[in-house]
Amino acid sequence: MPLLELICPAGSLPALKAAVDHGADGVYLGLKDNTNARNFAGLNFDEKSLKEGIRYAQGKGRKVLMALNTYPQPATLPRWHKAVDTAAELGVNAIILADPGLMGYAVKTHPGLRLHLSVQGSATSYEAVNFYRERFGIQRAVLPRVLSLPQVENVVDNTDVEIELFGFGGLCVMVEGRCLLSSYACGDSPNTFGACSPGHAVRWEQTATGMETRLNGVLIDRYADHEKAGYPTLCKGRFEVQGETYYALEEPTSLNSLEMLPEMARMGIAAVKIEGRQRSPAYVAQVTRVWRAAIDSVKRAPEQFKALPAWMAELAKVSEGSMNTLGAYYRPWK
Amino acid sequence: MKLPTFPTSLARLIARLPAWPPSAAFATACNRAAWPTLGELDWSAAHGKRFRVHVKDIGLSMYLSVTPDGLKAEKSGPVDVTFTATAEDFARLSLRLEDPDTLFFNRRLLIEGDTDLGLTLKNLLDAVDWDELARRMPLALGRIAQAARQRLLPATT
Amino acid sequence: MKLSLGPLLYYWSREDTLAFYEAALGWPVDIVYLGETVCSRRHLLRLPDWIDLAEQFTAAGKQAVLASQTLIESESDLKALRKVVADERFLVEANEWGAVRLLAEAKRPFVAGPTLNAYNPDTLALLAELGAVRWVPPVEMPRDMIAAMPIPEGMQTELFAYGRLPLAFSARCFTARHYNLQKDDCQFRCIDHPDGLVLASREGEDFLCINGIQTQSARVMSLAHRLDELHAANVSVLRLSPQSRHTEKIVALFRALLDGSHTAAETPAKLAPFLPAQPCDGYWLGEAGMAYSGLSTQ
Repeated sequence: MPLLELICPAGSLPALKAAVDHGADGVYLGLKDNTNARNFAGLNFDEKSLKEGIRYAQGKGRKVLMALNTYPQPATLPRWHKAVDTAAELGVNAIILADPGLMGYAVKTHPGLRLHLSVQGSATSYEAVNFYRERFGIQRAVLPRVLSLPQVENVVDNTDVEIELFGFGGLCVMVEGRCLLSSYACGDSPNTFGACSPGHAVRWEQTATGMETRLNGVLIDRYADHEKAGYPTLCKGRFEVQGETYYALEEPTSLNSLEMLPEMARMGIAAVKIEGRQRSPAYVAQVTRVWRAAIDSVKRAPEQFKALPAWMAELAKVSEGSMNTLGAYYRPWK
Repeated sequence: MKLPTFPTSLARLIARLPAWPPSAAFATACNRAAWPTLGELDWSAAHGKRFRVHVKDIGLSMYLSVTPDGLKAEKSGPVDVTFTATAEDFARLSLRLEDPDTLFFNRRLLIEGDTDLGLTLKNLLDAVDWDELARRMPLALGRIAQAARQRLLPATT
Repeated sequence: MKLSLGPLLYYWSREDTLAFYEAALGWPVDIVYLGETVCSRRHLLRLPDWIDLAEQFTAAGKQAVLASQTLIESESDLKALRKVVADERFLVEANEWGAVRLLAEAKRPFVAGPTLNAYNPDTLALLAELGAVRWVPPVEMPRDMIAAMPIPEGMQTELFAYGRLPLAFSARCFTARHYNLQKDDCQFRCIDHPDGLVLASREGEDFLCINGIQTQSARVMSLAHRLDELHAANVSVLRLSPQSRHTEKIVALFRALLDGSHTAAETPAKLAPFLPAQPCDGYWLGEAGMAYSGLSTQ
């Protein structure tokens, strides 16, 4: 079983190359439509760039994981089936799925294809993970960013499925796959449309009182000139509750669990995922470089591992709101 | 490392220029140097849309659109989307030394108007193969761009 | 078409909860969902209390369903889940796939809750094969998509038709956060907010509603005026979500609607005095969930 594979985001071919060149063990990517949860205009792969991406990564001994992690809908189900077929034909190393129905199709049609359970599948217990194992033979599960490390360990100890954790990047405060805040405001959710706060519903505007972010007209936040901004997601907005205006759900911040790497290594975490397919090759290069160095360091000598200040500074620089959190891995966050 | 800041007097002078000549000069230069590579991507979502590149520290606005044949200079007026940043940050973005989202979080990049169009343009620029772009540029220009990029890249840790 | 009383999503005092259900024994609902689905820290009613209520509702001629917790985090959550599954007298609503696994293993029929994310026929067929006898579509699923689902033999569709929409679940408790408390020392402040804690935009627009680890809509989903479309989409059960006041009136109005005592078009005006906030129906029409078309035709 692998230990602490570094899985990096690729929203484009240059991002994929940046990840591979800077030491990713694998990249994850998606197609240019709503079959994956980063369905943003201009992002992702068509068949031509996918082929080239697979050639480049696998040529250097790295893995390509394809995310098909939205929920197929009755009228458009064939699109998801075709995407699974494409992934199998082009020879990706695994597909990352959330929907059990789609897993059924993949197992039946492409029995040799390796399946990973997406974070969008919302599996937070070993009972849930083992369901997908027994039924569809999944080999890896990505856990939602809601469990503390001891809770993660309880899952690891009670399943044969490899466990992948998010290491760094945008932080979903909600259980992935169980958040409809975006569609409540604008009609499109990650589950069906493949994006949270899609561009068509977002408006930024510099006003006399600050920069305003709106989602389908709803004011999510207004930033004074000196304030750092976050993504236009509802969970990172400032709202008024009982007369008090504050970040009611979460501050604009990114997850950074780098200092927990020795614990993750001890627990046998198979892979660490970096969030950010919507981000540029520059980000992918910066973050991959730091995490490669950190993982190499923890594998060399876990007892001596130290999260170097230079690493942390580099990561904070590219973080949402320039802030980092340990998120739910550290229990008091909850 | 910082690029030299623009002299204020020069900025004032540029701000007084009509919008069209800089837009046209930029479009022409960009088409000559980069369109053979840029043009391989699918820009159809941006066709027929007008955007403005607002270089705030020198008060320069370029009005542009994307056509199947390349960038086109537009007269000033209403646009679908406006990008606002300093000359240095635009330079760092175009040399792919900086991540646009990072600049956005730090309030150094602003995208106003049609956000989807803004993200499309941003993501397409991110999808450009930079090495390929530099290779295909007229030789001297490509060398200068690569050299600038190497000089500004953060030291490898 | 039947009426169900959905699981109580809020945290009320033991007295208030028991009084609510005592009254509900006499309400014209066919099905009652019982149990704590939101937060494992809420303890004023324990499983034996819920089972006791389930027995009372069964005796009153209603179908009692034990609803399982939506977010399973710890071994003690799993222990509680196994106990729910073990009581073979009552149907169970599975709200995550761990519960599905346990129920299928025990070869027990179950209700597939809204957070199982059954968005397509293949997943629904799988649930049927595993023992689901009823499914609740995700609350964001629009009319046309529900109508397009081939319903497996022996399966019924139950729709979230009234109440503040459960939109999101987190590990973090937003009520505790509001009071600057840690979740492990939350002092059970949810109890002070029997219909949740409303969150407004900085322009004063009521938008969401905080309910512990759950985030709800501030607006109240109400589909009474869409009865014809509910029939057309093969919906068999309308789920009404409990609120601290007027639930009895809401139930009575829906019952009168089903009985033909008043028309669908008349219902919104009759319901209005009993809604804790503005209505919404956008999800049903495939729009933003917070939108409200009301009686305007689609």
